[in-house]
Amino acid sequence: MRTRSVVTVVLSLVLAIVLQTTLFSQNELFTPDLVMLVVIMLCLTKIRPEVLLGVAFIAGLAVDLLGSAVLGLRAIVFTIVAYLALRTRERADIGRLITGIWAGVLTFVGVVLLVLIGTLFGQTVLLGEGVVELLVLVPIANLILALIFVPLFVRVVDRDSTAFRYA
Amino acid sequence: MLNRQPGNRTLPTLISLLVIGLLLMTFDIRSEGTGVTSTLRSGAQAIVAPLQKGAALIVTPVADAFDSMTNVVSLREQNLALQAEIDELDARLVAIQDDLALFEFYEQLYDLEATGSELGRTPAQVIGQPDAFDGALIIDKGSSDGIVVGQPVIDTSGYAVGSVLQVSPGSATIVPITVGPSGVAVAVGNQVGEVLPQVNTDDMRLELSEAEEPVFAGERVVTSSGSVRFPAGIPVGEVIADAAPGNDTLNTQVRPYVEPATLRLVVVLAWPPDPITPLTPDSTTTTAPTSTTVPEDGTTSTTSNGDG
Repeated sequence: MRTRSVVTVVLSLVLAIVLQTTLFSQNELFTPDLVMLVVIMLCLTKIRPEVLLGVAFIAGLAVDLLGSAVLGLRAIVFTIVAYLALRTRERADIGRLITGIWAGVLTFVGVVLLVLIGTLFGQTVLLGEGVVELLVLVPIANLILALIFVPLFVRVVDRDSTAFRYA
Repeated sequence: MLNRQPGNRTLPTLISLLVIGLLLMTFDIRSEGTGVTSTLRSGAQAIVAPLQKGAALIVTPVADAFDSMTNVVSLREQNLALQAEIDELDARLVAIQDDLALFEFYEQLYDLEATGSELGRTPAQVIGQPDAFDGALIIDKGSSDGIVVGQPVIDTSGYAVGSVLQVSPGSATIVPITVGPSGVAVAVGNQVGEVLPQVNTDDMRLELSEAEEPVFAGERVVTSSGSVRFPAGIPVGEVIADAAPGNDTLNTQVRPYVEPATLRLVVVLAWPPDPITPLTPDSTTTTAPTSTTVPEDGTTSTTSNGDG
């Protein structure tokens, strides 16, 4: 991974964490999981898969460190989501809508895993009011953001203006 | 089309990371959030807190404006309801002021002096939440403002919110009682028990062991003197369903007064008070004699015989 890509990835993750913990935490209807979305979008870039899994793990760990749930929970979830994204990413660039749906489905898998593993480990802090609604709202929000930002994000990270033109 | 299949090392990498993740989870649970993990969390918070505070300065007004626009109809109704509530509270305030004056009068009469009841209070702004699922709140005050792990948090009306889970120099994380990992010792009337968080709702389950009397909807639930997380007497919520004891135990639902997700300001209490700090020796409090008069028309007025 080139230095510029590293800087871009780190900056995008920090920006996602800051926006997620401030702007989107104050809205009840539009509640994306920005960090998970960045991880999913990174899987569409040319970064090596092994590195991507590491990035996903560290991104999850960063959110764990800032949250109140057990350390390592999101790290595991984000790593699994990244792996699934890597296994299915060739289907994501068929069209803009497909990309959005792909990101939405992966987010859904991620949040279900988060709640399931959290429940198994007794993390009541993740199971507050509206958890069932959030299982739907978070993937929809990520789907919408993916529709808008995936092509731009991939082009910036890869520095490839031809990426994701949906030919 | 993308044609970059995961390499041969992807699966071993995944498995290794999952094992590391599970070990971290086990370690964190076993250490109960203290030690190395606590230091790591504080460090991460210290790094991100300035960015969050900066972002909160910009996004909070934007988010509030957006909320106001989307909720303009309900805001009008809310304003009317709040106005009615203000009128009612004004009336109660007059009654409470009268009680207070009477209380001070008795204090003087019997030469009583309240000690240790004044808790240090640190108001703080809620700057965010970790994510949509995590019910914790991040506030803009931390250890440099005197906040320490475990301190109770109330809202500006004095209702119980939660307790401090993590603290860094410039920020702290609060876990509300509605999602907290453990219950809160409470009292309903003269019966004591515990309120516990529930899944997918802010309502809490009230369990009264050794219950002898029924409880009724609308009864106030406050923290009990047996609580190790809150001072006694902090209002928690109200009972929302009548219940009678069966086999010495009583279970019912409690609606907390506070909805944590809507909080913008909270107050951190310095409780328990620092046991090392001595009380001011030989402190004398001079209170002006106060008398309460009840005129014939039934209204009550308070007169201070001091310099007022």
